[in-house]
Amino acid sequence: MKTVTVMVLAGALVGSIAFDAQAADTFKLAITGPFSGGSAPMGGSMRDGAKLAVAQINEQGGFEVGGHKMKVELIERDDEAKNERGALIAQELASLEGLSAVIGSVNTGVVLAGDKFLQEKKIVKIITPAAGSASMTQWVNPPAQDLYIFRFAAADGIQSAMVVEEAGRLKFTKVAVLHDATNYGVSGRDDLTRRILAEGKMTIVATDKFNIGDKDMSAQLLRAKAAGAEAVLIWGIGPELAAVANDMAKIGFKVPLIGGWTLSMSNFIDNAGKNGDGAMMPQTFIEEPVTKAATAFIESYHKAYGVSRIPSPVSAAQGYDSVLLLAAAVKQAGSTDSTKIRDALEDLREPVAGVIATWKKPYAKWDAAHPETHEAFRRENVIMGMINGGHVGFANPDDRARLGNR
Amino acid sequence: MSKRLVTEAGTFALMAAVPLFVGGNAYGMGLLTLVTIYAIALIGLDVTVGYLGQINLGQAAFMALGAYASGLAVTGLGWSMAPALLAAVLVGLIAGAFLALPALRLEGPQFALATLSFASLVVILLNELESVTNGAQGLSLVRPLLFGLKLTPAGFYWTCLGLLALLWMGMRNLLSSHWGRSFEALRDSPIATDAVGVSVYGRKVAAFALGSSLGALAGGLYAFDFQYLQPDGFRYDQMVILLLGVVLGGRKSLWGAFLGAVLIVLLPNLLSSRPVFEAIAAIGFLASLVAAGRRWREEGGLPFQAIAPVVATGLMVLGGFLVQSLEDWRKAVFALILFAVVVGLPEGVMGYVGRTLVRLFGGRRRPLPPPAALDAVLPFQENHGAVPLAVSGLSCRFGGLIALAGLDLEVRSGEIHGLIGPNGSGKSTAINVISGLYPAASGVVRLDGRVLPGGSLTRAARAGIARTFQNLQLFLELTALENIMVALRHVYRLPLPLIMAGLGRREEATARSEALALLTLVGLGDYAGVKAADLPYGTQRFLEIARALACRPRLLILDEPAAGLSSPDIKVLIGIMERIRERRIPVILIEHHMDIVAELCDRVTVLDGGKVIATGTPAEIQNHPDVIRAYLGTIAGERAGGSETGAQPC
Amino acid sequence: MQWMIIGQMAVSGAAMGFVYALVAYGFQMTYATSKSINFGQGELVMVSAFISLSVADMGLPYGVVVPVGLLSGALLGLFVERVAVRFALVQKTEGWILMTIIVGLFAVSAAENIWGKDERPFPTPISREALDIGGGISVTPVELSVALGVILVMVLVEIFRRWTLLGKAVDAVSADRDAAELMGISATNAIAISYALSGAVAALAGILVAPITSVGPTMASALILKAFSVAVVAGLQSGSGVALVGISLGVLESLASFYLGSGWRETPGLVLLILALALKPNGIFGTATIRKV
Repeated sequence: MKTVTVMVLAGALVGSIAFDAQAADTFKLAITGPFSGGSAPMGGSMRDGAKLAVAQINEQGGFEVGGHKMKVELIERDDEAKNERGALIAQELASLEGLSAVIGSVNTGVVLAGDKFLQEKKIVKIITPAAGSASMTQWVNPPAQDLYIFRFAAADGIQSAMVVEEAGRLKFTKVAVLHDATNYGVSGRDDLTRRILAEGKMTIVATDKFNIGDKDMSAQLLRAKAAGAEAVLIWGIGPELAAVANDMAKIGFKVPLIGGWTLSMSNFIDNAGKNGDGAMMPQTFIEEPVTKAATAFIESYHKAYGVSRIPSPVSAAQGYDSVLLLAAAVKQAGSTDSTKIRDALEDLREPVAGVIATWKKPYAKWDAAHPETHEAFRRENVIMGMINGGHVGFANPDDRARLGNR
Repeated sequence: MSKRLVTEAGTFALMAAVPLFVGGNAYGMGLLTLVTIYAIALIGLDVTVGYLGQINLGQAAFMALGAYASGLAVTGLGWSMAPALLAAVLVGLIAGAFLALPALRLEGPQFALATLSFASLVVILLNELESVTNGAQGLSLVRPLLFGLKLTPAGFYWTCLGLLALLWMGMRNLLSSHWGRSFEALRDSPIATDAVGVSVYGRKVAAFALGSSLGALAGGLYAFDFQYLQPDGFRYDQMVILLLGVVLGGRKSLWGAFLGAVLIVLLPNLLSSRPVFEAIAAIGFLASLVAAGRRWREEGGLPFQAIAPVVATGLMVLGGFLVQSLEDWRKAVFALILFAVVVGLPEGVMGYVGRTLVRLFGGRRRPLPPPAALDAVLPFQENHGAVPLAVSGLSCRFGGLIALAGLDLEVRSGEIHGLIGPNGSGKSTAINVISGLYPAASGVVRLDGRVLPGGSLTRAARAGIARTFQNLQLFLELTALENIMVALRHVYRLPLPLIMAGLGRREEATARSEALALLTLVGLGDYAGVKAADLPYGTQRFLEIARALACRPRLLILDEPAAGLSSPDIKVLIGIMERIRERRIPVILIEHHMDIVAELCDRVTVLDGGKVIATGTPAEIQNHPDVIRAYLGTIAGERAGGSETGAQPC
Repeated sequence: MQWMIIGQMAVSGAAMGFVYALVAYGFQMTYATSKSINFGQGELVMVSAFISLSVADMGLPYGVVVPVGLLSGALLGLFVERVAVRFALVQKTEGWILMTIIVGLFAVSAAENIWGKDERPFPTPISREALDIGGGISVTPVELSVALGVILVMVLVEIFRRWTLLGKAVDAVSADRDAAELMGISATNAIAISYALSGAVAALAGILVAPITSVGPTMASALILKAFSVAVVAGLQSGSGVALVGISLGVLESLASFYLGSGWRETPGLVLLILALALKPNGIFGTATIRKV
């Protein structure tokens, strides 16, 4: 029995390590992220969006590289939002022969635990939809040379600036900052605080946090209310955000809720119901058929996964577009060599028509002094969304017009 | 070299050689390193879960404390690896002892909850002390130098493996010493363990602190392995995973802990690969079918234990055909495998393997040393001048019931002193108070002239009182020899670290020969290797007397030693008592068989209603009018009632 | 203002406390008969809530949803007892701890795949609009329904125990298993019944709590540790003490959260819990036993 077990496990180990030595006319891509547990709506949507892109590429027999068609081969790994598992997956992916690129990650902690292994092995990684600042700033100090890590998400830095800007536009002077107790929430708090102090136009009258799974937010909200906050700036994920919105209604604390893009998650919209109306958040993608690309994407997503609404449209669209970016990079590089793909990504010559935008030179050669060289999203790619009647729409009608014209 | 040593050395050598072949593979190295780290944590956890038999959910917290202690020592103080790991161990020891003080008074669900609460508190602290730990944003660190060397992944793996090997040997030494034996003993009978002067509480606290420090050490290594820490990594999931590891691998076994670590590290990660999953499902299904078939042949029926693994693994095989995205179902598959293993092999993988090995190769038995000279083991009791036992004004209450009302009692040098009385007269309460089991409401007990601290079996035992129990309190899972060795406190003097270093062998040999001498004294010389549970009833009683003698008592208390004995056994008992008298050890004997009392006792004290009604020689007592009055009408009942009476303290 | 806040915090905390108490009550029921606990009770809450949600999604009225939910909870309770507990109890081991945890693990993963990973709202005819109960303190009718549910369940179980033959049998097994078996009562059946009841209570908890917490695969994972604490601190054998301890814990957490900061929310409760255990190991409402030899 024991020998059998040992043999099976040893065989399994060898098998999984020496997984492949397959033909070179496939582009091997790994998707990682939390596909189970509390962060799964984001990880799952990202994966499904990416898989949609892969399926569409493969349906056409692959994409053209150096005269022949190349198909995409997918490897999926569920990191369960756990750092330990994330680090092991990164090690596994770093050891996989022939793997060219990785996309994914929702949790900043997982990024911090795992990406160093990919960087060490020089494998291209596109982080999406994790927005926490630390995911990229970890390569700034100490400065990394030759970075293989890119991000395809609106960084918290941009988002927090927009949130503060919106609060300023609405002439609020006293705000409360609420955030969840995860890495994401805490670093969001720091970004917001820094921004508000830098602008100097408003004061933070209360700062408080909540844990994942908390349902009773009355303490935090009562403190904010007692301090006279005119708006709640919030950094968290769907279910807890919904609890906040519901408790605000309960204690009669009727001020706007402005926060990170997660306020557009369907589990916020569904669970907050009409209490969620009016919440505002920066968005890279809104599940509204404003452009032809968006319409096609939304329809095919609904059809492929049998849903009437994408759990996290932002994640799905970013997953989709990041696959397109990688495909374009491989095409340009004419090779599945990770370094060549990296070089191509840093200098994409042809625009890539994605669902979020048409990407023209989203990245540039890495410069540790300017981490935005590896960030795809600029302020102008991001718009302010607002929930109205259970749907995310444009907070600012100008944005709608701007995107529609594109 | 023994077979065991060869296997262990071989396994470690094999594991050490792995990096030579796959050193460049980060994943292989990562998994193996994690296996060694978890093995250390699980060996520590096994001390409480396996040896103390308690559900401990706190190990994840000790890992967290160790991880942050060494992580902060590196980032904050710039320490190198060795002192940082030492810091982790110290933090684990201190925090372990701190938690153990309240928690180890508890058992079962209460203990589990106390450890769980502690673990939650630790995570909250690490999250909230942002200025120190960086809170939820996590602590990034760079793996420090070890003695000036920068470790490669393989080098770090060898460091972990080396530590595991050292701990393995240390724990092996500890568990085969009197420490390991007392862990077994206190699970079988905590009262008897206390009564031979081995403090259950003290041992538990020490064991828990030791196990926790191993968890903290593993945590330190964990920090240097991943080089990034977040308090969230040590929440409930991690607690459950660690507990699963111990139980799956097999409790009370170093190999079990190791296998458990292999399972909990490799399984969840390897299940991502479809071929591995299919192999495991198919092999598991076949194995459980074979096992079920064998049960069917042998027992003619299929118990739940045989069916459940078949169903669970069958579901896996079926799922393999139906499920598109295996990654989505990975956790469910993991649960099914766990389920099949826990049901099919309730003692864990190692429990099963161990039993099979014993069946195939037979158990090992160490040859017995020659018995020590009895005079060295049980010297003649000198008379110090003071009266061996002087009790004055002892009283004890249970609620409103007065069980003892001012008891006075004197046991003289070298005498066997009978203590008799009708049911409920307070005999049992008297000796329970004297031996420290119950606290006294008032009164003084002097042993050899010194006042005895009340209310603690252990302290009374250490002062020189040894006792037997009316309802036998043997360490049933230990052999007869080991039962006695637990009580040979005077032999064991080495401190715990030296025992772990393997210096305890001499003591162990002395203890074995002394224990054998005592077994021979009560006529059990031939039963040394037999488990106490397998001894005949009468023999068990004699074993308990021998165990009490092993404490080198200044006063021996025998609580109805003849209860339930056959008449040939009673003759043996009388022989044993004569030999004890030769050694001039003072004895209090509670007994209902009046003929034994008459034959053995020098003097007798009669109790009724919690008070002494007569004291004197057996002959004087038999004709004492108060005694006759107290017994009249109850004598018949006493005989018919047999020996189960007097058990209740009230 | 200050008093209003304290009052509001106490009310909100008490609402959570009732939830803890309801789940804790389910723990006690099985512990009384079998000295075992379903560590997957939270998953029972979750799966029953999902089943009820599916029934509601079919367009059936609340009057059908609740009984179906309760029934499914009872059946799931029986399933847990049969698959994860009975075998360990026969062998007199503590295997049920891990077995119930494992069944819970499986349930979460299965639920994610069957019902999706997202948290979803639970339809209820009970209003979620806050009511002002004076002094600016507000409470929602769904919160009140939890409190009512707890009281109702306790009354019903008490009636079951005192006035039905089956209940008396279960009670007898709780009091002294061996003696009950000598009287011809099947302890195995009594334990199964207690698990079914406990499952139904979990389902009720799921149905009542879901409108507040929403339904998702991890909806009860945070709840379950609190409920376990409440059950043990009240005394696993105690019965109705859970309501008091549950409410106290809820209020304490709520106030701690307000005065110490939300990060420290659980700290006073946990410290008090360890102290309570150290001082009263058998629970505040439990009774101590004398060591006999």
